[in-house]
Amino acid sequence: MAAGRAGRWFLLPGLVFLFAIDLIPLAYSGWISFYNWWLIRPRDIRFVGLANYTRFADDPEFTRAVVVTTLFTAGAVLVEFLAGLGLALLFAQPFKFLRPIRVLLLLPLFVVPVVGATMWRVIFHPELGVLNYYLGVIGLGPLPWLSDPRLALVSITLVDAWRTIPFMFLVIYAGLEVLPAELFEAAAVDGATAWQSFRHITVPLLTYIMLLAVLIRGMDAFREFDIIFVLTGGGPGTATQTIQILNYRAFGLGHMGEANAIGIVTLIIVAAMCFVLMRAVLRPQVARG
Amino acid sequence: MRISRSFRYLAVAVLVVLAVASGADVPASAQGKTITLSMLAGYKEDVLRANLPEFEKKTGIKVVVDAAPFGDLYKKQLLSLSMGGRYDVLFMDEPWIPPLSEFLLPLNERMKTLDTADFIPTTVASGAFQGTQYAVPVDPNVQLLVYRKDLFEQKGLKPPATWDELLADAKALHDPAKQQYGIAITASSDIQTALYMLLAMWSYGAELVDGGKGSLNSAAGKKGGEVFLELLKYTPPNVKSYNFADVNKAIQLGQAAMAIQWASGAKPMEDKTRSSVAGKLGYAQVPKAVRQTPMRGVWTIGIAKNSANQDAAWQFATWLSGREFGQAAVTFPSATSAIHSPRFSVLKDPGTKAALPYADTLLVSLQITKERPRLREYADIQENLRVTAGKLTAGELTLEAALKEIDAGTNRILGK
Amino acid sequence: MKPTRLRAALTGAALAPVLVWTLFPIYWITTASFKTELALYAKPPQWLFTPILDNYTRVLTNIPFFQYLKNSLVIAIGTTLGSLVLGTLAGYGFARFHFRASEAVRFLVLVTRMAPRMVLVVPYYLMMQRLGLLDTYTGLLVAYVSFALPFSIWLLIGFFVDVPLDVEEAAMIDGCSRLGVLIRIVIPIAAPGLVVAAIFAFLVSWNEFLFALILSGVEAKTLPVVIAGLNTDAGPLYGEMSAAAVMVMLPNIVMTLALQRYLVKGLTLGAVKG
Repeated sequence: MAAGRAGRWFLLPGLVFLFAIDLIPLAYSGWISFYNWWLIRPRDIRFVGLANYTRFADDPEFTRAVVVTTLFTAGAVLVEFLAGLGLALLFAQPFKFLRPIRVLLLLPLFVVPVVGATMWRVIFHPELGVLNYYLGVIGLGPLPWLSDPRLALVSITLVDAWRTIPFMFLVIYAGLEVLPAELFEAAAVDGATAWQSFRHITVPLLTYIMLLAVLIRGMDAFREFDIIFVLTGGGPGTATQTIQILNYRAFGLGHMGEANAIGIVTLIIVAAMCFVLMRAVLRPQVARG
Repeated sequence: MRISRSFRYLAVAVLVVLAVASGADVPASAQGKTITLSMLAGYKEDVLRANLPEFEKKTGIKVVVDAAPFGDLYKKQLLSLSMGGRYDVLFMDEPWIPPLSEFLLPLNERMKTLDTADFIPTTVASGAFQGTQYAVPVDPNVQLLVYRKDLFEQKGLKPPATWDELLADAKALHDPAKQQYGIAITASSDIQTALYMLLAMWSYGAELVDGGKGSLNSAAGKKGGEVFLELLKYTPPNVKSYNFADVNKAIQLGQAAMAIQWASGAKPMEDKTRSSVAGKLGYAQVPKAVRQTPMRGVWTIGIAKNSANQDAAWQFATWLSGREFGQAAVTFPSATSAIHSPRFSVLKDPGTKAALPYADTLLVSLQITKERPRLREYADIQENLRVTAGKLTAGELTLEAALKEIDAGTNRILGK
Repeated sequence: MKPTRLRAALTGAALAPVLVWTLFPIYWITTASFKTELALYAKPPQWLFTPILDNYTRVLTNIPFFQYLKNSLVIAIGTTLGSLVLGTLAGYGFARFHFRASEAVRFLVLVTRMAPRMVLVVPYYLMMQRLGLLDTYTGLLVAYVSFALPFSIWLLIGFFVDVPLDVEEAAMIDGCSRLGVLIRIVIPIAAPGLVVAAIFAFLVSWNEFLFALILSGVEAKTLPVVIAGLNTDAGPLYGEMSAAAVMVMLPNIVMTLALQRYLVKGLTLGAVKG
């Protein structure tokens, strides 16, 4: 469809708002990243160019944080996407008993993240937690959920999945619900199996929604902070120390230039990931409509 | 359409709610006798709010309380002060005073109107920086040794006075088979871990910063570090994930025979709804080696330099550090935590001794505390200490490497 | 596919462990709100116990809980409305009107979600301070709509694009304006998308902590800040935190129950072809 003049009016309010309230502040924080602004010394602000960025290049702690963050993001998004997709498909079936259960599945989204993570700490407690208690009873022994470096990474992914699978489920499920029933009926009449229907009808039509879900989740997982901070604080050692925890540290100490530099680096990494993903998946799909 | 009509009604209803509610948009207007306080959320806030009406009645000054959680209070105060914010009085933890001193009102002259002789001297020092007094002490805290009197009696042991005795007692009381552990401390990347390690190193004579340089990497530092690591052998198995609250839990649920803990954490240990060992605990000073160095942490009240209500703010600071509030705070009926007073008169009061089982030990310890380095950059130095201590206990570094890294970080920060 | 009893049984069997895993922590938080701390850590874990209401009474009396609840509610509803309105308009605009820079602008919309929120703290603080919006509903509303809007736009684009053009064209031939088409035809068909966008915007606002902490403090203080305050310097107050969390969950559940009937198939207004 050609660009109608009416289109402008639809787009302007949202875009102007975002430009003023999001992009300009973002540009400002990018600007801050070129200075050495330490809040406790407001009169000692100097332009330092790329100094805040180059210090990461030789900081092994930063590199390690990038690795940890990427591992966590990849693991979390994979698990959450597959589980969300599976659940959405299960719930798309026309069984009456499914309707009341839907809201139950969404409950983790309604728990304030800090409380959810705190409660999981209680559950994960090595000696006093309920999880290890029952694991002990069935002989799988108490596990060091939060004190073993590798298991800690699994634990935070678990809690993040607990919290976010409902979201993935919700988004994909809504997408499924909008698919016209006629298509599936026609396919059934033609003798297609459930798998064939899935592959040739559901997947192509749902690609945009699934991609969006993965992108959004990827971006959020990369920036995830609350859950990790409450559960492990970045520990044990630096096993779960993500880029966001480093960011929080710099920010908490008042090093604004540094903190913003970390933020901009995160932005660049995530933007690159998204760009690549979108090109790969959306290119084959010419803009519809 | 049925659908759009009900949406329309809903939209109108909500818009009405919003319109009415946005009338509450206007913040409380300053009438010259209103001051804004940046406060710590939680127990201390509760105690303050309970006693505030009395202050407001007596002086006619209204206090608007802006409370933030512990993990974020410093950030919020720093942001506000540095960008011309609106706080008149600030409730601050003592390590924040050097960096915030830039924005605080010097109080040397005003302090003369208080009966400073009643304050424990170390607590007054906590509000000073480079000779200028920036804050008045309100709630002093110190590290103590908590131990199970009953278990010690059973084994015929005396509470340890030195680190060697501590190790021996911990070993004697350590019985993993029965889920009984010698001592509870933290070994995670939590700040407490670093502070325990520092306490041990201090006891053997080491200093974090000496002569403007990092000096933890010394024979004394090494000895302290070794003792600290040795102690970890007699702790519950997963201390690598422990934080402040977990140390409490270990005592409360009968798992640990001893703990080194801040005095403010002791009150919940005596709460019957949280602790199965209430009444069975004894309190002593932290162990010593070459010297005795219980670590000090005092909550203070300061005034912002750009406050428009400095006199009213000072009146509030006077009250908050005064005897009346101190007595009320110490005997506040809640088992969640405790506010300690910096005043001799309050700590020696029989009412206090009834409310705080550890009052005597607290009083003694407070008079011989050691303070962390009073530097603007201390927060950064402590962060570096925290991360490195976490790496040490996680096995990512050896003790030698850790000590080197701590000093290197300190020097880098101070050299900036 | 004909639903069979076997499939129903298999579905149930697959769902059971998922439900247990999803609901157990919620159950644990809820029971924790009725237990003492000692009971919370009891071994063996207590599934049946005598509930106490102390945690709830303490939360409700120590802090002006309902004041903060009102704050959170007003801000969350405002955020939802704001993002829905702006998002629907912009989403439709992107879905139906293409211009050369369409893709680039769309990507730019998403870019704001790629940086950690912390980098926006200083700019937002300064902005709100200059505009006199610190500690007001409006300030937080503006911030939260900007957080929720990008995803809302992208989500709604996807749903609007799926609406069959013929239906719209038919309506326009009948004299309906573009806006009319959007409201009367497209929105009902894409209702599930709007529901998700609404729930999402509501949650962004409801659970948000960092900016509520920085941009408010007294008048516009919201529940997440209050709950974080229960994580005290003496450790978390598990009972009170759980009680507060349970109370905070309830409005979300109410909202979802109200919205969930729009989450289903079948809001098409009769197919284009008979």
